[in-house]
Amino acid sequence: MIVRREIEKRTGRSISIGAAYATLERLEAKGYVSSFTGEATAERGGRAKRLFRIEASGQKALQVSEQTIRSMTGLKSRWESL
Amino acid sequence: MRYDSPPALVRWLLESVVPARYREAMLGDLIEEYNLRAESASPLIASRWIWSQACRSVASIAWSWLCSGNWLASMSIAAGVYIVVGMLKLAVDLSISKLVAPQQATQVVLAPVVFLSAAAIGGCVAARVRRGAMIFLALMVMITVAVSIERKVCTIPVPWWYEFGFLTLGPLAVLITPALAGLLVPRAAQPGK
Repeated sequence: MIVRREIEKRTGRSISIGAAYATLERLEAKGYVSSFTGEATAERGGRAKRLFRIEASGQKALQVSEQTIRSMTGLKSRWESL
Repeated sequence: MRYDSPPALVRWLLESVVPARYREAMLGDLIEEYNLRAESASPLIASRWIWSQACRSVASIAWSWLCSGNWLASMSIAAGVYIVVGMLKLAVDLSISKLVAPQQATQVVLAPVVFLSAAAIGGCVAARVRRGAMIFLALMVMITVAVSIERKVCTIPVPWWYEFGFLTLGPLAVLITPALAGLLVPRAAQPGK
C-alpha cells in the first residue's frame, strides 16, 4: 500500500493495487527486489502484509535507468539549444 | 474499533483472479485502505473506491498473466476438460434419448439439467487443476452454445429464453460452482489443512 501511495504521490497518477503487485512480482522474478511476509492485523482482516526490499542488482538497474534518463535529458536540451 | 468488510462480490472477484502468491497481501492492503476511507470519508465512497480498484486490478493482472504466457497451459487444460466432459455429456444425452426418454418434451426438460451438471463438473475439474482454466472453459462453453444456436442444432422448437438460458447459465455454472464448492479458497486457508 505504501509503495502504491508513494508512486501516486510522486507521479500524480492513480494506479491500481493490482498493477503495483503485478509490477513488483516481475521485479522480484528478475531478482531486483525481494519480499517477505509481515504481520497480520485486524484492520487488514487478519491478512499478512508483504514487505519488499530492493536488492543490489535492483539498485544497479535503477542507477543505469537514471543515467539513461539523464543522458537523454541532456540530449534534449542540446537539441533545443541548436 | 469496528472494521467493516468490503463487499463480498469484490472479495470473491479478487480471490478468483489474483494469483495465490500475493492474494493475501493484496486483499489485506485493499481491506486496510477500504477501512481508512470508510472511516475518513463515508462507506459509499469507500465502496466506490474498492470497486474501481478491483476492476482496474483485474484488468492489470489479466494483462500481466497474458504477457507471461501462462494462459497457454490454462487453455490446454480447459480444452482437455472440455473434450472429456463433452464426451461424457454426449454419452448421457444419447442414453437419455435412446433409453430413458425418447419423447421430445422430456428431452427439453432434461437437456438443461444434463448441460448445467456437465458445465458445473467441468468447472470444478478445471478449477481444481488450474484456476485460469476455468475462465477459458467458460468461454468455450459460451462459444459452443452460441454456435449451436446460430446453426440451429436443436431441431425441437423452443422459446428464445430457453436458448438464452443455456448461453448465460452454462458459463455461469462453470465459474460459480467451483466457488460454491470452496475450490477457490486458498489451500492454506482451508480448515484442517
